[in-house]
Amino acid sequence: MYAATTSVALVGGDVRGVEVQVHVGRQAEQFKLSGLPDTAVREAKDRVRAAVASSGITFPNRTVTVNLAPAHLPKSGTDFDLAIAIGVLAASREIPLPGRVVMVGELALDGSVRSGSSSIGAAVLSARSGISCVVARSAATEVAAVPGSRVHGVSSLTEAVALLREGVDQRPPAGAERGPEPEPPGDLAEVRGQPMARRAIEVAAAGGHHVLLHGPPGGGKTMLARRLPGILPPLRDEEAVEVALVHAAAGLNRGLSRSRPFRAPHHTASRAALVGGGSGVAVPGEVSLAHRGVLFVDEMAEFPRSNLDTLRQPLEDGLVTVARRGITATFPSSFHLVGATNPCPCGYLGDRRKPCECRPAVVARYRQRVSGPLLDRFDLVVKVDRLEASDVAGPEPDSTREVRERVVAARSALDEETPALSGQAEGQLAAALESSLLTARGVDRVARVAATVCALDGGSVVAEEHVAEAIGLRGEW
Amino acid sequence: MNEPDLVTPGSDGYPVGLHDLEVPPPIWVLGVLGPAPGVAVVGTRRCTRYGLDLAASFGAAISRAGWSTVSGLARGVDTAAHRGCLRLSGHAVAVLGSGIDHCYPRENKPLYDRIVADGGAIVSEYPPGTPPDRWRFPARNRLIAAMSAAVVVVEAAVTGGALITARLGAELGRPVFAVPGDVDREMSEGCNRLIRDGAHPVLGSADLIEELSLVIGPPARVTDTAHGIPAEGVAVSELPELWSLTVTETLVKLGRLELEGKVRRLGDFVLPP
Repeated sequence: MYAATTSVALVGGDVRGVEVQVHVGRQAEQFKLSGLPDTAVREAKDRVRAAVASSGITFPNRTVTVNLAPAHLPKSGTDFDLAIAIGVLAASREIPLPGRVVMVGELALDGSVRSGSSSIGAAVLSARSGISCVVARSAATEVAAVPGSRVHGVSSLTEAVALLREGVDQRPPAGAERGPEPEPPGDLAEVRGQPMARRAIEVAAAGGHHVLLHGPPGGGKTMLARRLPGILPPLRDEEAVEVALVHAAAGLNRGLSRSRPFRAPHHTASRAALVGGGSGVAVPGEVSLAHRGVLFVDEMAEFPRSNLDTLRQPLEDGLVTVARRGITATFPSSFHLVGATNPCPCGYLGDRRKPCECRPAVVARYRQRVSGPLLDRFDLVVKVDRLEASDVAGPEPDSTREVRERVVAARSALDEETPALSGQAEGQLAAALESSLLTARGVDRVARVAATVCALDGGSVVAEEHVAEAIGLRGEW
Repeated sequence: MNEPDLVTPGSDGYPVGLHDLEVPPPIWVLGVLGPAPGVAVVGTRRCTRYGLDLAASFGAAISRAGWSTVSGLARGVDTAAHRGCLRLSGHAVAVLGSGIDHCYPRENKPLYDRIVADGGAIVSEYPPGTPPDRWRFPARNRLIAAMSAAVVVVEAAVTGGALITARLGAELGRPVFAVPGDVDREMSEGCNRLIRDGAHPVLGSADLIEELSLVIGPPARVTDTAHGIPAEGVAVSELPELWSLTVTETLVKLGRLELEGKVRRLGDFVLPP
C-alpha cells in the first residue's frame, strides 16, 4: 500500500518541496528510509514509531519503506518527522489519504509536535503553491505572517491526524502574529562626539555605501557599527522572508523580524564560516546571514588576507554559491559591509595624545593585509577619533529614530530615481580629475556619495554643495 | 616674453626701500614688483637638506602672509625660498648680480621664467648683457637687503654672501633673523654668530611670521588662503569647531577648498597647500 505526503527542504536560501513516499509492504517488520538522509533524518524511524504508539495508533508491523524525493538531494534535520508519520499512517490505511498539505515538524516520543527551523519554509511553500501547511503550533502564528500563506498549527500527532481527517480547508488558518521586534542594541544618541563619523554613517545608511571606520582603540568604531542596522529602513515583508529562510538554513530561528541582521564574525573565522560551507548539506556563511543587513568586519587587518578576499565575490554578485560534495547551493548575500580597523598595530598612529610605537615598515605591512580591491569597495572611509572629555559635553545628538526617518526618506527617493548630476557638479568632478585631486575611481565614488547626500537633502539634482560634501566626506585609511 | 623696464629712483613703482641706500640706483625690472612688503630669505648655496626644507617653508609662509619673498636666484637656499613662495602662488622677487637677461645659474632658467609668469619680478641694477661676475654679487646683496623689510638667514657659513646681506640689512635698520643650528656645523656658524650679535633666532615658520608681523604689520592674507588652518595641519574632526560651522557645512566647505586647491589632505589631516 502506498501514500505520499509533502514536506520541505531548505536549499540555498530557498525552499524545495520534498515528497515523502511511503510504501507499506507485506514482508517482515522493517523500517527503511532512503533519499540521502543524514543521521538526524534517519533517527526519524525511532521517533515516528514511538510517537505513533504514544498517540494510541497502531504502527504497521510490516515492511515500511520511506523515500524522500527528489532522492538525490541530501536531507537533514528532524522536520520530516511529521510528514513521515502521517505518510506511514496513510499508507497503512489507519487514516485516509491526506490531500496536498505541506507538513513540517519534529515529533517527540510522546507524540507532541515541536517546531523546527523549516517551519518558515513550509509557510513559504504554502504561499507559493497555494496549498495549506501544517506546522508546530508554537511556530504557527509567527510563520503565518508570510504573505499569502495558509498555516495550521498542531501541538501533537493526534491533533494533526484529527485536522487531516476533517480536512484542512474546513478550518480557518492560524492568524499571523509577529513577535515583538527586539530592541536595537543601543541608540545612536548614545554615541557622543564623533559628529563627522555620525554624518558618514547616516550617508552610508541612506545610500547603502560600504563604510570603513578607522581610528585608535576606544573611539567607538564598534559602537557606531552596531547602531547602523537601527537606522536602516526596516525589512519589507518579502525581505524578511528571504532573511528568515537563510537563517533557517543555518538552523537559526529569527522569525519574520523586520529588524536588519547584524553579523560580526571574529577574525579567526574560517573561510567556510565566512562564505558558507557544511558537509552534506550546504550551510550559509556570515556573508549570507548578513543578507539585507550589516556585516561588521572588526579588526579587519587581523583577518588573514585570503579570508578577507573571499568577501569580494559575494560583495560583487550579491549571492554566493557554496559547492559541497553532492550539492551546490546558492545563498543570497547582499550585505552592507562595515569594516573597522586600527591605523596601525599599536593603534595610536595619528592619535592626538598618545605616540605611535610602530615602525613605518610595520605600519605598511599592516595596511597591506587588506587588499586594494577590497578597500576599493568602501565608498566612505571615516576616521573615528578617541574621545576627549570636551567632546562628550554638548547637546544630545540625533537619536536613532530621527536619523532613520531621514534615511528612509532618502532611500525611497533613491529607489525611485538616482539624482542626476547638474552641469556644475559634472564640472567639479572633471576638475577634480584634472587636478588629480581624485582618481577615476574616486570620481565614481564621490559621484555615488554625492547622489546620496543630495537625496538626504531632499534634492533631485546633484548640486555643487553635494559634490563638495562628498569630497569632504571621503577619507583614506 | 615682455621687455624689461628701467625704473628710476623717485618714479612710480620704484621700491621704497631702495631710497634708504646712499645712492639709490636705477633698476631694470622684468615682471611686476607690486606693492607688498618684501622679506629677504637668503643663505648659502651649499646648504643641507634641512636648510632647503626650511627655506621652502619660509618662502611658503611668507607668501601665505601676503608678503613678497626676495632672494637672489642662486643655488641652494635662494632657489628653495623662491620655489616655496611660488608653490603658494606667492609674489617672488629675484635680484640678479648680472644683466637682467642673464639667468645665473643657467639651470634656474625655468625658475626665472616661472617667477615672471606667476606675476613676480626679476630685478637687476646692471644693464642687459652684463655677465655674471663674482664681484657684482655683494653689490646685488645690498639691493636685496634694501628692498626687504626684514632679512632671514637660513644657513650660512662665516664667510659668504648671506652674512653680507644680513650686515647690510642691519646697517639699513632692517631686522635680521637667523636660524640657529649646531655649533659644530659649518653652515650654522654664520647664523649662530648673527644671533650672538643680536639677530632674532627663528624658531619655525609660524614663529617667523609672528615676529615679522611685529615689524611689517599683520599678515594680509593669512586667514583668506589658509582658512585658519595652521601650517602643521588640523584633523578633519576638529574643523567644525575651528570654523564654527555644522558638520555638513564643514564638509561642504572642506570639499570646496579641496576642489580649489586651497587645502590638501594627508590622511585624516588637512594642511595648507
